[in-house]
Amino acid sequence: MQEKPIVSISSPLGRGAIAIVRLSGKDCLKEALKVFHSKNLDPNNVQPRFMHFGKLQIEDGVFEECLMVYFKAPFSYTGEDVVEFQIHGGVLLAQKVLDCITNLGVRLAEPGEFSKRAFLNGKISLDKAEAIIGEINADSESDLKNSLSITNGRLAEKINEIQEQLKLLLAEIEVGMDYPDETEETSIKTNIKTRLQEILRATEVVLEDSKSMKYIKNGVNVALVGRTNVGKSSIMNALLGEERSIVTDIQGTTRDSVSESFMYQGIKINLIDTAGIRQTKDFVENLGIEKSKKMSLQADVVLFILDGSEAESKNDAEIEQMLSGKNVIYVINKTDKTRKVAKKKNEIEVSALTGKNIDKLKQEILNMVKLEKVDTKGAVLANERQFHILQEAKDLLSNILSDESRTLDVLSLLLKDLWKIYGKITGNTENEDIINLIFSKFCLGK
Amino acid sequence: MKKISENYDSIVIGAGHAGCEAALALARTNNKTLLLTISLDAIAFLACNPSIGGTAKGQLVSEVDALGGQMGINADKTAIQIRMLNRGKGPAVQSLRAQSDKNAYHTEMKKVLENEKNLTVRQGEVVDIEVVGDKKLVTTHLGLTYSAKSLVFATGVYLKSEIIVGSVREKTGPNGFKNASFLSDSLKKLGIRLLRFKTGTPVRLHARSVDYDKMEIQYGEDDIASFSAMTEGNVKNRAVCYLTYTTPKTHEIIRQNLDKAPAISGEIKGVGPRYCPSIETKVVRFADRERHQLFLEPEALDTQEMYLQGFSTSMPADLQKEMVHSVIGLENAEIMRDAYAIEYDCIDPTQLNPTLELKTVPGLFFAGQINGTSGYEEAAAQGIVAGINASMFNQGKEQLVLKRSDGYIGVLIDDIVTKGTNEPYRMMTSRAEYRLLLRQDNADFRLTEIGRKVGLVSDERYNKFLEKKQKIQQIEQILQQKAKIDDKMRQLFEKTHENLPKENIRFYDMLKRTNIDIFQIEEEYHIFKDYDRSLLELVNIRVKYEGYLKQQQEDIDKMLKNENVVIPQDFDYSKAKGLRQEAQEKLSNIRPLNLGQASRISGVSPADISVLSILIKRGNS
Repeated sequence: MQEKPIVSISSPLGRGAIAIVRLSGKDCLKEALKVFHSKNLDPNNVQPRFMHFGKLQIEDGVFEECLMVYFKAPFSYTGEDVVEFQIHGGVLLAQKVLDCITNLGVRLAEPGEFSKRAFLNGKISLDKAEAIIGEINADSESDLKNSLSITNGRLAEKINEIQEQLKLLLAEIEVGMDYPDETEETSIKTNIKTRLQEILRATEVVLEDSKSMKYIKNGVNVALVGRTNVGKSSIMNALLGEERSIVTDIQGTTRDSVSESFMYQGIKINLIDTAGIRQTKDFVENLGIEKSKKMSLQADVVLFILDGSEAESKNDAEIEQMLSGKNVIYVINKTDKTRKVAKKKNEIEVSALTGKNIDKLKQEILNMVKLEKVDTKGAVLANERQFHILQEAKDLLSNILSDESRTLDVLSLLLKDLWKIYGKITGNTENEDIINLIFSKFCLGK
Repeated sequence: MKKISENYDSIVIGAGHAGCEAALALARTNNKTLLLTISLDAIAFLACNPSIGGTAKGQLVSEVDALGGQMGINADKTAIQIRMLNRGKGPAVQSLRAQSDKNAYHTEMKKVLENEKNLTVRQGEVVDIEVVGDKKLVTTHLGLTYSAKSLVFATGVYLKSEIIVGSVREKTGPNGFKNASFLSDSLKKLGIRLLRFKTGTPVRLHARSVDYDKMEIQYGEDDIASFSAMTEGNVKNRAVCYLTYTTPKTHEIIRQNLDKAPAISGEIKGVGPRYCPSIETKVVRFADRERHQLFLEPEALDTQEMYLQGFSTSMPADLQKEMVHSVIGLENAEIMRDAYAIEYDCIDPTQLNPTLELKTVPGLFFAGQINGTSGYEEAAAQGIVAGINASMFNQGKEQLVLKRSDGYIGVLIDDIVTKGTNEPYRMMTSRAEYRLLLRQDNADFRLTEIGRKVGLVSDERYNKFLEKKQKIQQIEQILQQKAKIDDKMRQLFEKTHENLPKENIRFYDMLKRTNIDIFQIEEEYHIFKDYDRSLLELVNIRVKYEGYLKQQQEDIDKMLKNENVVIPQDFDYSKAKGLRQEAQEKLSNIRPLNLGQASRISGVSPADISVLSILIKRGNS
């Protein structure tokens, strides 16, 4: 039997040279061919168990060259039709491929679901059943851990708040319906709209705010800040591993902020080189300096570059003050010379010239945004799931708000669906909760 | 071995709302049935409020009716006022509520029982139960022993019940009827776990002593549907109710005397319902409320007794008088019966299968308040299912499990046997996830075929149902006809502020417009002259809510997938590797019939269900 298609990343992520994204289920080849194109491939006659080279359309105009293998049921791991994409390694890419496939309406696999299907289709022998059960349990634990830990529980906390608001609204609607005689009529219906708009706004904020999601999707923004001529551009180049910005000895060469990205452990790191900050009467340079300040304040991580061979200036002190409260790494450059600058709390001595500690600096950047402890595969999946759930909630909310002619019974039905959607993140889906709230909050009874 | 005086197919213990339905269901499906009651005068007694129906409860009554039960017919026959609750909030939550003549309700039901062939109605307190092989022996306080293949326990609140008024405790049943002091011990001997719950009832006042000028009158509604599909014509409104309020003085009296309130002082140990708190509990828990609303309802047409809804209490009698006199319009009210709290034994319902049969002893069925529920309608709903299943048991046929998608009855039973309850369980529309489909107006569409299959739906009822079905089809066919753009259409669309279509459209498409309903179409076109209002209403809902109804049906289909995966009853959860210990314990305690029921047990996670589905599959192969 073939069930609805599911998709997941099936290889460990982060360090591997390739990653595998696997689909299984009814018509999964049809789904896959919506995004995979190959000149030599006849969509109506795809040869099974054969590597097909082609392009996977990730976004409009963005393609990934990759290999596709099709396994026709029942000759596959799950016993269903299976499609595997072998793509280049890296969290970001796998994430994007997963995105483009779930956008087709293919759902993310539940923990251990591939193996479960394999078992139910008789592809795995009975004695392996226990191993699969272990897999399901382990996966659901790591899934939960990741979805909660990745944002230090802040995301979950916010969604909890949203769900609480929704619960209260639902309880008020429900109590009016279950106890029409005993609740003094309130103007709940007019109230509903404003309250739902608040919930929608809060949801949008969470979607925006979902930082680690942002890191994995868009990369970590790192600003390089410092006085003029401390070697910001050289460090940027060292991090990028190639010459990029113009390097000169003349102060104020980098007047505008420039950015460039590199991948580290599967995460994209966007470097923003800012104009050197100093007192100047040059109008154009001052514009650049203002922009630098703004950029550094918006960045996820700031690399405060100091020239190790010079004592700190008044200028450095001002920059330091400006950066208070930010994720700052003090990068002590030019350590090939005698050190004169004072010891800093979170510092790394590097040398752009020799490349000393540049890798350590990269790792430290990830540490600052707490991505170092995240199991990247789990994080991607957990995040992807959250993102989809929040998006689903947002869509439903907009739909609910778009039609005011609905009767309360239908409205409450939709709100209960919404409540369950948030519950997929918080784990809180018990209808009993709403009923309990009804009794604790309202005075009822004959 | 006891001397057996008579042999029956089934014995029903208790003749309240559960017992009556169970006994009738058994007798009507050709089982020789004995109905034992502590008092013939307590048959179908409305021990608390003199009303039937209300939100979710109205649905239950119609479902009992659709299965071939008696409650709906009896409620229609004895109603003295009727209203539709929640008009304007949508069809899913509309429910009928009737004030019933409590004396007539009792008398009429007693008549029905007395005239049922196959049914013996007899007074007697059951003091002992014994299971001997396939036989179940029931012994009364006078030493008579009866034997049957199956038993239905529908003892209501009578098990070791105690009435509490202030410091006075009396070992009696409700309303001064005698209680059943021995049966609980007999149940315990069978290994059944008992709980102790409490409930209460307010004062009854003399009608002549009430100052109605200070109260707001509540009228019934004419021209509305009845509970039963068998009822011809509308229910006549013959009485009114009154709305009044407590005063700050009432609250003051209660606050100053909390030490005398058994419900607050901890004197009452039984767990009371949160949805039906005593007035003293309300005053304490909702201290900021300045007043609480109360309804004054007539108990029957042939009595002066008035029921004071919202004023249930277990305060001492002298204080009750003071409290009543502080209520607007009751300054000089004469109390005829005092309010009381009642504590009673019931069973933990998780010991039952969704068929209401005890898991450990085949042939023992339980229904009504003994299962930890509250309400006449909840009792009747379980009664009819227990009766049907006792009958199936006697005949060796497969027992009936109503699903959550079949009706509120399914929700009710699934809830109590799967999750249990820690307070008297009341049905609410919020508990039903498919409530758009589980409406009062389509109960027969959901359940009458089922009732027919088990043999409870009479030819008369079934023919009526077929006729209704046919008429609905005809209405739907008429809706498919096209209407021309003419003056009639222009008028209708103008009146309803809808945009006129560019070409001829079907009436069905007209009905899809937000502001147009079937009655407005009828007003203009007169195409449904031959059809009842209730039928038109049903079709109106079907068309208007088509999208949502379809969505609910899809949800149901999804749920049924798990519902159809049967778990072997000898499945050993303790040896099920991979299930978390909590899940193992919960599952072996509840012993769900299928994967769907398992998934609704609190503390069982989706991962556990995944694991369980694999283990079941492995067990099967």
